[in-house]
Amino acid sequence: MASHVANRKRKPTAKEQLDASDVESFPGGSLDSLSSDEEEDRLLHESDKSDSDSVDAFPEIDTDSDSDTEGGDDVDDVDEGSSANDEEFPGSEDEAQDIEGASSENDLHIFPKAKTVVSDITGQPKKVYPEIEPDYDSDSSTEDAPNRIGNIPLHWYDDLPHVGYDIDGTKVLKPARGDELDKFLKTVDDPSAWTSAFDKNTQMDKPLTAEELDIIRRLEALENPDSNYDPYHPTVEWFTGKGKEEIMPLSAAPEPKRRWIPSKWEKQKVMKIVRAIRQGRILPSKPKATSSIPQFYAIWNDEPSSHAPPPLTAPKLRLPTHSESYNPPEEHLPTEKEQKEWEATDKEDRERDYLPQKYSALRLVPAYGQFIQERFSRQLDLYLAPRIQRAKLNIDPNSLIPKLPSPNTLRPFPNYKSLSFPHARGRVRCASISPDGAWVVSADEEGAVCLWEVIVGREVKRWSLNEKVGAVEWCPRMDASFFVVGTEEKLYFFMPPNLPPAIRLATKALLIPSALSSTPATPSLVKWVNFPHEPAPESPHLSVDLPASSGLIRQIAWHRKGDYFATVCGHHPCPTLITTTASGGGQGAVWIHQVSRRHSQAPFKKIKGSVQLVLFHPSRPHFFVATQRYVRIYNLAEQKLLKMLTPGIRWISSMDVHPSGDHLIVGGYDRKLCWFDLELSEKPYKILRYHSRAIRSLHFHPSYPLFVSSSDDGSIQVFHARVYSDLLTDPLIVPLKILRGHDVREGLGVLQVRWVPKQPWLVSTGADSTVAVWCH
Amino acid sequence: MGRLRQKGKAGAAKAYVTRSAAIKRLQCSLADFRRLCIIKGIFPREPRHRKRANKGSSAPASFYYAKDIAYLAHEPILKKLREHKAFAKKLARALGRGEWSSAKSLEDNKPVYRLDHIIKERYPSFIDAIRDIDDALCMIFLFASLPSNDRISTSLVENCSRLAAEWQLYVMRTRSLRKVFLSIKGVYYQAEVMDQPITWLVPYQFTQNIPSDVDVRVMLTFLELYQTLLGFVFFKLYTEIDLVYPPPLDLDKQDSGAGIGAFALEERNRDDMLSSVLSASTGQSNGKRVSSKAVRQAIKALAESSVTAEELENDVPSRDAESEHQDEMFVLRPSASNPGDAADLSTLHSFSSFPQSHVTNLFEPYTFFLSRETSRPIFEFIVRCFGGRIGWSSTTGSGSPYDETDDSITHVILDRPLNQRSDATGAELNRMRRRKYVQPQWIVDCINSGRLLLEEPYSQGKTLPPHLSPFSGREGAQELRAGITGDSAMDDMMEKNETSEEDEPDGDKSDSERSADKALMATMEASHSDPGAMRGVELQAEAVGVDYGTFEKKLAKTQKKGTKVGEGVNGVEDMNKMMLSNKQRKLYEKVRYSERKRQAENAKLEERRKELRKVQKRERKPT
Repeated sequence: MASHVANRKRKPTAKEQLDASDVESFPGGSLDSLSSDEEEDRLLHESDKSDSDSVDAFPEIDTDSDSDTEGGDDVDDVDEGSSANDEEFPGSEDEAQDIEGASSENDLHIFPKAKTVVSDITGQPKKVYPEIEPDYDSDSSTEDAPNRIGNIPLHWYDDLPHVGYDIDGTKVLKPARGDELDKFLKTVDDPSAWTSAFDKNTQMDKPLTAEELDIIRRLEALENPDSNYDPYHPTVEWFTGKGKEEIMPLSAAPEPKRRWIPSKWEKQKVMKIVRAIRQGRILPSKPKATSSIPQFYAIWNDEPSSHAPPPLTAPKLRLPTHSESYNPPEEHLPTEKEQKEWEATDKEDRERDYLPQKYSALRLVPAYGQFIQERFSRQLDLYLAPRIQRAKLNIDPNSLIPKLPSPNTLRPFPNYKSLSFPHARGRVRCASISPDGAWVVSADEEGAVCLWEVIVGREVKRWSLNEKVGAVEWCPRMDASFFVVGTEEKLYFFMPPNLPPAIRLATKALLIPSALSSTPATPSLVKWVNFPHEPAPESPHLSVDLPASSGLIRQIAWHRKGDYFATVCGHHPCPTLITTTASGGGQGAVWIHQVSRRHSQAPFKKIKGSVQLVLFHPSRPHFFVATQRYVRIYNLAEQKLLKMLTPGIRWISSMDVHPSGDHLIVGGYDRKLCWFDLELSEKPYKILRYHSRAIRSLHFHPSYPLFVSSSDDGSIQVFHARVYSDLLTDPLIVPLKILRGHDVREGLGVLQVRWVPKQPWLVSTGADSTVAVWCH
Repeated sequence: MGRLRQKGKAGAAKAYVTRSAAIKRLQCSLADFRRLCIIKGIFPREPRHRKRANKGSSAPASFYYAKDIAYLAHEPILKKLREHKAFAKKLARALGRGEWSSAKSLEDNKPVYRLDHIIKERYPSFIDAIRDIDDALCMIFLFASLPSNDRISTSLVENCSRLAAEWQLYVMRTRSLRKVFLSIKGVYYQAEVMDQPITWLVPYQFTQNIPSDVDVRVMLTFLELYQTLLGFVFFKLYTEIDLVYPPPLDLDKQDSGAGIGAFALEERNRDDMLSSVLSASTGQSNGKRVSSKAVRQAIKALAESSVTAEELENDVPSRDAESEHQDEMFVLRPSASNPGDAADLSTLHSFSSFPQSHVTNLFEPYTFFLSRETSRPIFEFIVRCFGGRIGWSSTTGSGSPYDETDDSITHVILDRPLNQRSDATGAELNRMRRRKYVQPQWIVDCINSGRLLLEEPYSQGKTLPPHLSPFSGREGAQELRAGITGDSAMDDMMEKNETSEEDEPDGDKSDSERSADKALMATMEASHSDPGAMRGVELQAEAVGVDYGTFEKKLAKTQKKGTKVGEGVNGVEDMNKMMLSNKQRKLYEKVRYSERKRQAENAKLEERRKELRKVQKRERKPT
């Protein structure tokens, strides 16, 4: 243990000794180094590794030789003395030797040898070192100051004049380095320049040592860089080889019998085969010919094993048509255009895979080039194409069409145009027929309002309003006779001339009462204006001013009793120019007027959507309001919403209610007609789409089971619509007749249709500024 | 709450298997899988929801029924294919090592699979097989005409041509050929075997080469199956008409190019036949005694079978004898002790012996001779199918029963342009006068129309009438008739009508007359429905001074108009269409679509025909 401690103590000193040896300050050392070069090499090598190596690895040098070479030195004396001590203390011989070795290997007497003395106190031998005298030799100041920057990348100093710091913190300047020429001259001058390398730490060239050069050489020669490694070292036999043979067997068991007796089982197996060959069960060399020829036999003679249906057979190929003939009728031959078209299309897209050709004789028919390809594609179809058993729909298409009663059995209905009444110009937007069915009043966009007879078409009177007329409607009362004309923001009440005196008086009393009821207490937005008692025949008897900028009055709807009527105002909607901000579209659009009280009111404070149409229920106090998409039904008596119908129409254009009050039809600009059964559902019972353009107008006949629709395609479609009173039978709708006769002008066709009340006659107004009467 | 259902454990995800999954499951290569699918007749299916079947992935894949794949997994052929794979490895190894003897023994014990069980599986009854031999026949006839190369072995081609010849012999023997069509693709034949129409296509005799874009392996696999199938089918067909299968082949004849003549049809062994007949009759008499009639019949059958095969094929008397023999059996059977059976059998028998509506002895009285430029295999087959005798010049092969100078020849089929020969001898001229010279299309058109047509339009050098497809249905048949008889008479009629109509609007009629006419027309229009009113109109016409002919014409015209008015009914239907619901309307349109397309096509053809006729007439007129 002690020796270890000593060795550890000694280590730094050994290093210092090495450094000292570099300086070669000691003559004895130099002597030694000269004498034992080899030893020094080894030392150098070992000292590099000495940090990790154990001290035991230090080579042992016998002190005798050292002592031989050296003479007359006092330290040597000490050494000898110590060796003498060694003999005295055999226990500490090793360590003494070690110390000696260490000292002798350096041969530098920097550190004086220790004296071993027996301690007075413990009685054990101990080492006593002489005092260090601080003289010239003991100082290390003569050594080159090492660069003390530590483990720092040296390229940090690339741009600086110094390279690190010495122990005092002063900069270690880079040594001056010559230019390229100097370098070159150096290489010329110094023969060892080519074996030197630049040392970054000291910033100067240092010659490589012989060992380093040797390592480089070895690496270049692909040898082991370690010079001590011997690749041809003889094998060291540890367990085998001469003199180490195993003499005793592992097991003492005798050798089994099976090692030298033939196998019984093998014999049995072989004999089995031999017997089979003898009996002919195994043919050692089978004749090949018999196996390759397929033998056919009656495979279908016995019953099929399973009664499952046979697998689905592939469909057969299409049979050839006339055009495939070598000599087809000439009409089957393709024209040049068809031929080019056929050639231009892709093979998969062709309707048929061949071009018909005509040959005058059979001998001229060539081979068909696609024959094998066609066979092959058939086979691909057979094994690669998915097959589905598809039930082919083999029905007569006419059986799908519903069986409806013949129109001939459903007469009367309007069949032909009996007369047409021309307006000067302008579209005829509206017409109305008097409740007795004798008179028609029609108005165009130029402001002309004409009164004429239904039967002969004679014009009785004409009023010119110089305003666009949007709606005209007769009062349904039989005891009085007048009609209301709706223009822009104004309603005019007109009385037809030539009335029977009783009716005339009644009407006058209604429109121009002698004693006006007191003006309404609350000031209204709507003003009722009276005209003098005997107005000019051209002027109206009464007018109503709607609030300003409420727009054109589009619709007038009378209550069945003829006292109330509702108006819808706003600009005529045009689906192509959607300006839904029309002032009339909103809640201010609907007004309900009462003629007897000369009172007007807006029934809705607020309503969602722009109102298109309104209608009074024919028997109940219900009120239909159609906005752009929905139809709402209000109970006026209870003032609440009853129902909201969703026809699924984008923009409702027209609406009418069946005289029974249970059915409603709604038409839209998107060509749809919806039939609602009001007792059933909010969804339409039937949706029909037969017009090619927008539906403009719908009307139920008040007494006959008929209804009619008109459209922008210029046609009028008459339907038979029978409604049954029992709840089980669905209403019967039979299309009866398509009436054509109106021209389409600027995309507008038949704008309004109205039935003549007591006849199955029809009055239609068109954009071609005519009004037509259709009779049965 | 029900149990949670795991995805992919039921429904389409489980019922379908993609191809790659199937291959993985079967542990075979793609080529082997294809081969198995072809042989077993398994094809991909189209699942209703592809995504569901593919476990949520929408990647393109082809699907098979999982049950089909499970069915394949038990296939003995799959095992054989695996064995073959091992064999191929062993052989390659032996060859690589140069171990020739072991390679030879390996080659000798090579695993071979047989397809018998597949045929039985795929076609549980004979009629199923008969229904499905169209493709097989097409392939056999194609490969019989292919040159052999390294991919197509000579033995394969030989076997195919043997099968083709066997089929033709059978068809000729039973006279079951029904229709023939010479198309640009080849010759279509249709035969009727066991009441099943069988159509096959034979290419014209040219050397075909397999194009590079065709996978020969696939074709050969199909051919493998088809050869086996046809072998079994022919065996059954031959044995049913008491012939030996396979028919013996005369190699000498084949080498000299006799074609189907190289095969000899042979009745089955007389001992067999005797025993079978005897057993049949004893079976009927319940083993009490051998009836004398049965013995007589057996003897007769023996006598018949001693007739040579050639005679059997060609001679009609033998057929008569056969039918007599059948008649006699027909008499015999009801006398058997179990009447139910016998009745059954007899009805069956009568069905088979019932003369079919189709004429099969069309050419029986005639003797044909094929000129050397016509195709012998086609016309020899056709003519003999319909009972005709046929000879050919020795340049087209041996085996002709007579040569050109034979006096019995009634028709010469030739396909060459007319050229006048001046150096004909008197005997030749005499012969030429007695014979009829027709182009090959005559034969085919006769067969398709079921009667003998006039030879004149088909004689040498004439422009042939169009050859129409016999497969085009009823409409086609009409056209066929029209085309062959020449509908010139009808044409003329139509033309006359047209011209008269064109001539009619003369300018020399006075206005009053016209107005009278108009009134007349109006009344006609009104009254053409009831005869009483019609008579009134007639009288009125007489009064006005219209002669009867013009009256008739006008009447026809108004009736035409009337039919137009009758379209008003259609108009009502059109109007009723608006009452269809959306779904129904779509269905209606769909159904009408194909109808309309067909009509448009027919109308186009009709129009073109009319135009062509006009052009022809214009060409005819100047001359």
